[in-house]
Amino acid sequence: MSAGPPDPPQLRALPSALPTDSELIARSVDEPEAFASLFDRHATAVHRYLGRRVGDLADDLLSETFLIAFRRRAAYRADHVEVRPWLIGIATNLVHGHVRTEQRRYRALARAAGTQEAPGADPADATDRLAAEALRGPLAAALASLKTRDRDVLLLVAWAQLGYEEVAAVLDVPIGTVRSRLNRARRQTRAALGTTATFEETR
Amino acid sequence: MNDITLLREVGPDAAPLPREVRSSARAALLAEIGAVGIPARRRLWLPSRTAGVRITAGVAVAAVAWTAAVVIAGPDPTGTPASGVTLVDFEMPTFPLSLDPVPEGLRAAFDGDADGSSVADYRDAAGENGFTIYVSDEAPDPGDVQGREVTDVADVDVGRRNAELVTGREDYCDVDDQGLASHCRTRPFAVLVTEWREDLWVSLSGQGRYTEADRLLHVADSLIDRPQPATLRVGLAPAGWSVQFFKMGRVLTLVDDADEQQTLTVQIPQPADVVPPGELLDQLMSPVGPLVPVTVHGRPAHLVLLDSGYLDQRIWFLQAQFADGTTFELQAPEAFSQEQVLEMAEQVTYTP
Repeated sequence: MSAGPPDPPQLRALPSALPTDSELIARSVDEPEAFASLFDRHATAVHRYLGRRVGDLADDLLSETFLIAFRRRAAYRADHVEVRPWLIGIATNLVHGHVRTEQRRYRALARAAGTQEAPGADPADATDRLAAEALRGPLAAALASLKTRDRDVLLLVAWAQLGYEEVAAVLDVPIGTVRSRLNRARRQTRAALGTTATFEETR
Repeated sequence: MNDITLLREVGPDAAPLPREVRSSARAALLAEIGAVGIPARRRLWLPSRTAGVRITAGVAVAAVAWTAAVVIAGPDPTGTPASGVTLVDFEMPTFPLSLDPVPEGLRAAFDGDADGSSVADYRDAAGENGFTIYVSDEAPDPGDVQGREVTDVADVDVGRRNAELVTGREDYCDVDDQGLASHCRTRPFAVLVTEWREDLWVSLSGQGRYTEADRLLHVADSLIDRPQPATLRVGLAPAGWSVQFFKMGRVLTLVDDADEQQTLTVQIPQPADVVPPGELLDQLMSPVGPLVPVTVHGRPAHLVLLDSGYLDQRIWFLQAQFADGTTFELQAPEAFSQEQVLEMAEQVTYTP
């Protein structure tokens, strides 16, 4: 009696890849401790975004962002938005509770910059690094003057580097609204800097 | 360099995340993770709003509704009450348009914030028939609403302006006294949208009888450029404070610009939620002083100091009436003197 076909070679399992953010959140519903890894992955980015908007208050809001995210983890929808934008969205909502702090920060930065160096007189210099540096003050002043919802969109795109669809998802507004708010924010920002800078269009 | 790149490269920057801050935040998260399953976790609402929620069960439903509608902010443990305030004259933000005439039997209520009022809701006494006027600086899209199916979009004229009349059906649920949706159904809707002027779009949304196109158009034709004040107003406010929001024509909150944990709220409770003065001490949370009889608008009123239940902060609670007998309540930080609370209350007006 001939032997049967040899057993197929046992496949040794490859070391599993790290779980994705979405997988960690899903797992954390039943295993809450899994959520801690998301802090390790995203705390720095969330803190930097918050810090650019509200300065030192970011230290407190970082903790609150992750506490709120943890409490809402069961409601997270991976098909709606990825985890980093979701966290940034929570952080943005927390900033709304400190709008005046944010505006004061921009105004203070504008004043501080104003005492250092005046903007370059030649618009062509705006492409030059030194001239760009000189725009720090006017740029901060421009941010202070924007409406909160327009500033949100502008800074989610510029600082959090979210796409339009991600901004729409985290702010829960139609994508057309994102575009119109961004256009308005950019128009007003350019107008505020208009006498000192020229800009290339963003594609 | 475009403006987005400019923002990234020379816009305000952040300090690096300090190691101790990172450790502290991570420890707080781990503590929360470890606490899962333990009920009665700390709420993240501002203390004075939480106080409003807890005053009576009846108030809680309405208060939760507007609390949830605004920013949920964590308490700032470093926040400290101001040591004192100075009251100054105060002008409330206005809604930019009026109706001339106002349809008979309808009353207006306004929602807004420090930038002004953006919603005027006109409703009959039963709340079934009326319309809501929204103003915004960007074009609204009436069809982009969950649960709404557009069946027709018609070009119409409103005065000398072009407008769109969007009609269809939408899902609708009643809300019970627990704030839960019940008796869901579909109903017709009609929304008229027009660009009133540059950067001012008007959206007129009808309910009940006002879903009829002719009736809605008639309302639109009566819109005029005349700012309207909110129905609930204060004539005084602490220097350095501003409007945080006003809602439903019955709730107004001011906030200290220098410390957003410090708020002052005036609200008109529904008649069924008015606590008889004799029951105030029993129904209010944590009174820390006696019920002080005072006079406001020439009528008896009651003032009491409460423990807010948050960071040892105490707040004044005043229950008073307007000359017509309508009850209103005022909550203010303890930094207000008793006299200032009464001064504020004397300048509260309500014109529903």
